[in-house]
Amino acid sequence: MNNTLESWRLRPAAEKSQSLVLTPLEDLKGFIAHHLGKFLLFLITCSSVIAVFLIFFFVIRQSLPFLTKFSLTEFLATKSWYPEASEPKFGALSLIVGSLYVTMVALVFAVPTGILAAIFLSDIVSFKVRAFVKPVIEILAAIPSVAYGFFAVLVLAPWMQTKWGFTTGTNALNASIVLSIMALPTVISVAEDSISAIGRELREASYALGATRFETLFKVVIPAAHSGIIAAIVLGMMRAIGETMVVWMASGNANQIPSPWWNLSQSVRTMTATIAGDMGETPKDSPHYWSLFAIGVVLLIMTFLLNIISEYFLASSKKKTGRS
Amino acid sequence: MLAKGREKMLMQKGNIKMLISALQTLQDKKETNALSTVEMKDKNNKVAEEENKKCNCAVVEARNFGFYYGSTMGVKNITMEVHPCSVTAIIGPSGCGKSTFLRSINRINDLIPHIRTEGVMMVNGHNVYDKNTNLVNLRQQVGMVFQEPNPFAKSIFDNVAYGPRLQGINIRSKLQQIVEESLKGAALWDEVKDDLKKSALALSGGQQQRLCIARALATKPDILLMDEPCSALDPIATGKIEDLIDKLQRDYTIVIVTHNMQQAARVSERTAFFCLGELIEYDSTAKIFRNPSKKQTEDYVTGRFG
Amino acid sequence: MRLIIRRITDKAFTCLTGTSIVLLTLVLVIILGPMVWRGAKAVIFKDTIEFRKMQLDLYNRGSSEDLNTEIAEAKNVRAVVYEIINKFKHGIDTEELIDKSKQIYRQFGKELRYKGITSEEYQKIRSLARDLRDRLQAAFESNDKKIIKENIDYVLQYRRNEYFVDTTAAEFFTLAEDFYKTIENIDLNKRQEYAASLQQIEEVIFQLLGPKPDEPLPALTMERYGATRWDLAVKLLDKLLWSQQWIQKEAGQPLVKIRFSRAEEFAGTKLESLFGYINNNFDKMLKPEFRFYWQYFIDDSTPGHYFGGVGPEILGTLLLTLLAMLFVFPLGVISAAYLVECASDNIAVRIIRMCINTLAGVPSIVFGLFGLAFFILFFIPLFGGPSKPCVLAASLTLAVLTLPVMIRASEEAIRSVPQAYKEASLGLGASRFSTLVKVTLPAALPGILTGLILSLSRVAGETAPILFTGAVALGPLPKSLFDPTRTLSYGSYDIAVGDRLAMLVPHQQYGMVVTLVLLILCLNALAIILRAKVFRKLKGG
Repeated sequence: MNNTLESWRLRPAAEKSQSLVLTPLEDLKGFIAHHLGKFLLFLITCSSVIAVFLIFFFVIRQSLPFLTKFSLTEFLATKSWYPEASEPKFGALSLIVGSLYVTMVALVFAVPTGILAAIFLSDIVSFKVRAFVKPVIEILAAIPSVAYGFFAVLVLAPWMQTKWGFTTGTNALNASIVLSIMALPTVISVAEDSISAIGRELREASYALGATRFETLFKVVIPAAHSGIIAAIVLGMMRAIGETMVVWMASGNANQIPSPWWNLSQSVRTMTATIAGDMGETPKDSPHYWSLFAIGVVLLIMTFLLNIISEYFLASSKKKTGRS
Repeated sequence: MLAKGREKMLMQKGNIKMLISALQTLQDKKETNALSTVEMKDKNNKVAEEENKKCNCAVVEARNFGFYYGSTMGVKNITMEVHPCSVTAIIGPSGCGKSTFLRSINRINDLIPHIRTEGVMMVNGHNVYDKNTNLVNLRQQVGMVFQEPNPFAKSIFDNVAYGPRLQGINIRSKLQQIVEESLKGAALWDEVKDDLKKSALALSGGQQQRLCIARALATKPDILLMDEPCSALDPIATGKIEDLIDKLQRDYTIVIVTHNMQQAARVSERTAFFCLGELIEYDSTAKIFRNPSKKQTEDYVTGRFG
Repeated sequence: MRLIIRRITDKAFTCLTGTSIVLLTLVLVIILGPMVWRGAKAVIFKDTIEFRKMQLDLYNRGSSEDLNTEIAEAKNVRAVVYEIINKFKHGIDTEELIDKSKQIYRQFGKELRYKGITSEEYQKIRSLARDLRDRLQAAFESNDKKIIKENIDYVLQYRRNEYFVDTTAAEFFTLAEDFYKTIENIDLNKRQEYAASLQQIEEVIFQLLGPKPDEPLPALTMERYGATRWDLAVKLLDKLLWSQQWIQKEAGQPLVKIRFSRAEEFAGTKLESLFGYINNNFDKMLKPEFRFYWQYFIDDSTPGHYFGGVGPEILGTLLLTLLAMLFVFPLGVISAAYLVECASDNIAVRIIRMCINTLAGVPSIVFGLFGLAFFILFFIPLFGGPSKPCVLAASLTLAVLTLPVMIRASEEAIRSVPQAYKEASLGLGASRFSTLVKVTLPAALPGILTGLILSLSRVAGETAPILFTGAVALGPLPKSLFDPTRTLSYGSYDIAVGDRLAMLVPHQQYGMVVTLVLLILCLNALAIILRAKVFRKLKGG
């Protein structure tokens, strides 16, 4: 036993008894290192703030020459967009309406489908089916917008022209359909998150009172998740408004407001497509050039507002379900 | 229902009687061991004298210690001394502040936001809640083993060598020596010596916990804090760890928090009973289990509540 | 009763939700299916000898010996085609015939001078020859078979004339003979129609077989070779054998397209045999072979993407995305580490989070504007660089675009490291920084890598931000960070709408898009596998 005792002796030969008290120098060093390190990390994290600030600053700066020389009301409220005419006119109303028009129609397709799909995923199917369906949605989300635009121009547009007899295959309907497909994954994932977060208790209470699944979902779960669903819709809208390539390729780029308003077969032009299309041919530092940045500012402000709205609804939904 | 309760109590009492007799034999053994240890130590030189010095004064001492996080109280008015080279058990019902107190000793509670302390917590003669405490050294001298085995996702060698590397020991041979000693000290060496590069996550639960003990031992601490180390393990692994605690007790001061009263009775010399954040009674294990002074203690150890 | 209605509504609702998912899957199949199918044809197809010729000339691929034997074989088979056409032309192309006769006359005249005959004889023979020539011309120009026969017979009388035998003038007679044989069965009134049709046929044959063996090579690369793909060749064959015309079936109704068999059109003429011959010997003329053109992914393309592959585009995409990742990875991980470890809930942190969310919502084209306004016009010139679209500006823009994605994914990964890890490390005496670097980040690394790969896949597909910051449709590989580059995303856009040439080669269009989509899907699949591995590891492994 004596031998094993020796072998268990792990005590050091008291090389240095390490003090539990910090010397002032060590304390100072530690203090500086801690706070300096924290400050450095903070600075690096502020890169996002700096980035946002730079974006707003520089885009607005490049649009100022336009906004100072030309009237803002004319920009926002008139329809004639003739930037290259001898007497240039910069009425962006049809562009703004074009963006909103295409987005709204896309939402009309995407919202019901998206919410139904979200309900399907959260309530109706087992985990196995879910594991099979989720990749489908993830793949839809991963396909780049150029590929969707490709589909819209080379597959959907000719089909529209031949099968449905449209005068042109690139029109508002084409763009809206493809935009709705692109917005769907966003809507589905956010809506599904908030519907699932409701938890079992509410559902069990409703079932225990004899409600069918449909009634439970419609009368209890969806109303409880309504802020999350609204957030999902707003986020989908943000995605659709900000999309460039698909609308550039598929909307026809005709500077008009469809008349009658429900005629989807007419071509429209969106803000994003205008910026993308005109920029390559515009000489730098010309009124046309600055006006494109002005359109960019309008887009920024719109998406910023939508962002705030969606944040509000997401926060309120999280408050209700008590998740952090 | 009363009958059943009484039966239970009788069984408990019977168990305790068995335990107590076992304890007494153990205690006798320990005394003889301690004596021979002291003799052995006398035969050595400086080391022995220093150890004698150490072994005479309290290692961890709490005076009116209180711990609050946010507006919740963790513990309050704790005054107790932990003697060196001994095993002290802390028992009590759930939520009574045992873990909170334990974790205050090496200030690992600092991770919780908004904490406040009162009183004094002395470790090796220094109030650890002093502003100028060297936390790094403190945690090297006070090792901790947690409830769930939590080895890093590295190899066995890297897990055990983590602490020494932090201390600046980088020479391969020295590290190997320390790792071997620590693993032997944790009674794990024979099982893993063939492949130290294997991932620590591939070990069984009991082995992982012993690895965590080896990891804690590698920094050569004075004090070992164990927060319910066996609660996640099966009885065989538990038994191995209790044997280990018995061996380690000769050279380390061990404070162990446990839910399992029988375990406390088996391994410790002194036991503290906490309830609702306060220290109810702190005395030798034999007394706590055989003849507690406070009624609350007796109620708890006989199983009337908790 | 009410219960039944409720039950029915319930079932109907369930079906409805199921339908939406089925619809989604259908949409995915409809979008991806045809694209991948058509895109695959860019890599896997039946090629022809023209393709192999092109590969040898442009990319130095294939053995020239084997190819030359093949070319020789095909040449023999093709020669018949050219012969038939030539012969038929003699009967149709009166201008050419007239020119030829004039040429023969001139040549003969020159020969006569060196013959050493008296000037009297010279004049006699010459005027005779002129007479023949004029007669032939009359024959060529006339539409009346009787007149033609008259003139031709007249000319042919002189065949055995001593002056003309064994001289160039003998060609007069072959010309006359061929002409007569050819026009024997032709309806001369239809000559114009035949000429027009013949021109179409010759065009198709030019597209099929390339330039004639003895002709000089055209300047454009795309015209130097015939049909390089078998499917294209088959389409051209159809165009050759059938003509399409718009016919007014009924008065007042829109015109209807009807197909006519060309063989019937030229029935009775020498050209009739052409169609049957081409039809039967088509594969001997073009020698189709199955081809796995994997070099599609590394070859450069000829202007307009008529031939070749998408190598430079793939390189450009990879260059941009990897550079962007280089910029965004440290920023994202460090920001996430700060947000998880050090940040308390004060106003500064709330502003930071709001800004991250704002960044995530900015439209991609506005990022392009930002890249132009800031990086190209301000930032890069600040350090002395050139103020033009370049790889550096584009990748910096993409980095800012993907920063929120990286931060969110890293934050999630770092947060999911169990608290116990951090406690264990701290309990062993590590400082908070050491714990972060040695324990937390390595444990969170798989999750962070997943986020990185997802960011990569998103960035690879972005087109709008690089439109005016660094992407071009044509151009060489970038030699430095300050040159623009071609990319898959911008190239796909350009080839789909900008390039009229590209409409002729749909497989190239689809090929580029499918390459992009496949690249992105592979990256996503990688991320999913990685995520599953992480999941397994954390659950216990």
